[in-house]
Amino acid sequence: MQKSYLMTLYEIAEADSRVQLLLADSGSGYENLFRQHLPERMFDFGIAEENMVAAAAGMASCGKIPFVYTAGAFLSYRSMEFIRDDVCLQKRNVKLIGMGTGLGWSTLGPTHHTTEELGILRAMPGLTVLSPSDPVRTAECVRLAYEIDGPVYIRIGMGGEPALYDEDDAPRKGENRVLREGKDAVVFATGTILPELLAAAETLAEAGTELQVVDVCTLNPFNEAAVREAAERFGTVFTVEEHSVSGGLGTAVAEVLAAKRTQAAFHKIGLDNAFAKGYGTQLEVRAQNGLDAAGIAGQIRRLMV
Amino acid sequence: MNEADILRQYRKAMFLTAYPHKTAHLASAFSIAEVMYVLYRKGILRYRPQEPDWPDRDRFILSKGHAALAVYVMLRDIGVLSDARLSTFCRPVENALGGELHPLETPGVEAATGSLGHGLGFGVGCAMAQKSDRSEAQVYVLVGNGELGEGVIWESVMAAHKFALDNLTVILDDNKLQKMGLTSDIMRITSWADKWRAFGWTVEEVEDGHDVEALTAALSKKNTSGEPRVIIAHTVKGKGVSLMEHNPDWHFKMPYKKELKTFMEELDISEQELEDAKVVLDDIV
Repeated sequence: MQKSYLMTLYEIAEADSRVQLLLADSGSGYENLFRQHLPERMFDFGIAEENMVAAAAGMASCGKIPFVYTAGAFLSYRSMEFIRDDVCLQKRNVKLIGMGTGLGWSTLGPTHHTTEELGILRAMPGLTVLSPSDPVRTAECVRLAYEIDGPVYIRIGMGGEPALYDEDDAPRKGENRVLREGKDAVVFATGTILPELLAAAETLAEAGTELQVVDVCTLNPFNEAAVREAAERFGTVFTVEEHSVSGGLGTAVAEVLAAKRTQAAFHKIGLDNAFAKGYGTQLEVRAQNGLDAAGIAGQIRRLMV
Repeated sequence: MNEADILRQYRKAMFLTAYPHKTAHLASAFSIAEVMYVLYRKGILRYRPQEPDWPDRDRFILSKGHAALAVYVMLRDIGVLSDARLSTFCRPVENALGGELHPLETPGVEAATGSLGHGLGFGVGCAMAQKSDRSEAQVYVLVGNGELGEGVIWESVMAAHKFALDNLTVILDDNKLQKMGLTSDIMRITSWADKWRAFGWTVEEVEDGHDVEALTAALSKKNTSGEPRVIIAHTVKGKGVSLMEHNPDWHFKMPYKKELKTFMEELDISEQELEDAKVVLDDIV
């Protein structure tokens, strides 16, 4: 996803001199494209995220389109007030890209996890919040962010995420996409955990439970109609996210269901009032927190009864 | 009108704008009156009153946003805001001016400040953008001494040095006070020049930050150092009304009845003017 992000941004930057890449000592190697070919458009602010975000707002006020790129945790937690006051309140054309979100920095533990940020970013007035599930969608999100005249947050993974889409058939404009058809329950999920959920759905199908799986990319503005219709059609609604069950996708869906006064059964799967435990690969940390394919399948199986 | 009278008028207008309210950051605004006057009316800032968004303008960012009164009255004086708009300060009316600055609400305002420490980083971004466009425009950021307690200020100070922003001038309104007392007591800091110098900035000091001539001389000097520049203006918080001067009690307060007399005498305010100040004027467009 990092590669997809930086390659796409580079293409955009080549064609539009207003586009800038801002880093906080947060390179991943792919930024070498900028270093070699567009050095005057890449700015490393050092380990100083708050100033970087404030400066991005200042740049945007002078007509630039800064893409701010660093670890999701430091971007969203450390610079929160700068995202709020300098970017969102002033409607600045700043793009914020958090990488390694969720449990991406899996050997480093909770200080590096980004598992609560949607709770506050989703609440920011006017901030488009995008959470792509694979590299193809990531590229699409970068293009979408560039087209939007205003603040955008994109939540991406660390690297090595499998492609879920063909480039020709990728969803556009951050729209929802049904990745698996089912009849027994609908699962709304977001981000790089989608492959785990798809594997879980496969397992459950073998046991006779058919899940409808929806890849939700845009968390703000939120496609409420999709939730209302699915609740009516399926009667049982799940959310799955590599995030706290408070504040993120689960809460977004809950808000819709509460307003609709639906009778649908509803369950949120994610981190439940807890920081993620354990270390290892991202998959191993997911497993330790019940968020790998087996963990998700087990939770759904229990909750479906 | 001589300059002393102009500046008394300026402070008087700030006071009358705030008068209908129980609280206002008068002392902080009075502290920067001469700095503001020099920036806007002694040929330092390049701006077009009829075109506040003129792309080639110099940027002025008041990072200590609570001194917004000083900006509003100045914008009125140079013709960007009307008397009527000024009279909406903190009123529950449509399109009012707020207690802190907001660029989407008020023409001539660059950044939303109020939470301290934000303006310098924003100004760093402006200065970087101007440099990359090879623009001649300058960026001026006014910060307060109390505000320097915010860690992000020093991130911005480092960044300005790293990017060699010689088109950026910080004016430090060093009135020695912050809300609860002396900065030297609260943060055990007595001088700022050495701190900024240590980060590679060019430092100038104006011993009397209310001396228009000295401020004009410092601000008109071209910065040829290749580095960002800070001008430390040694000021008196609450300058212009004896009761308020260098007294932390006045950080966010308006006078009671018996104190009001001093304000009226020292700022040359009549009873009628006090009455008139209570009225929100109709905007005649």
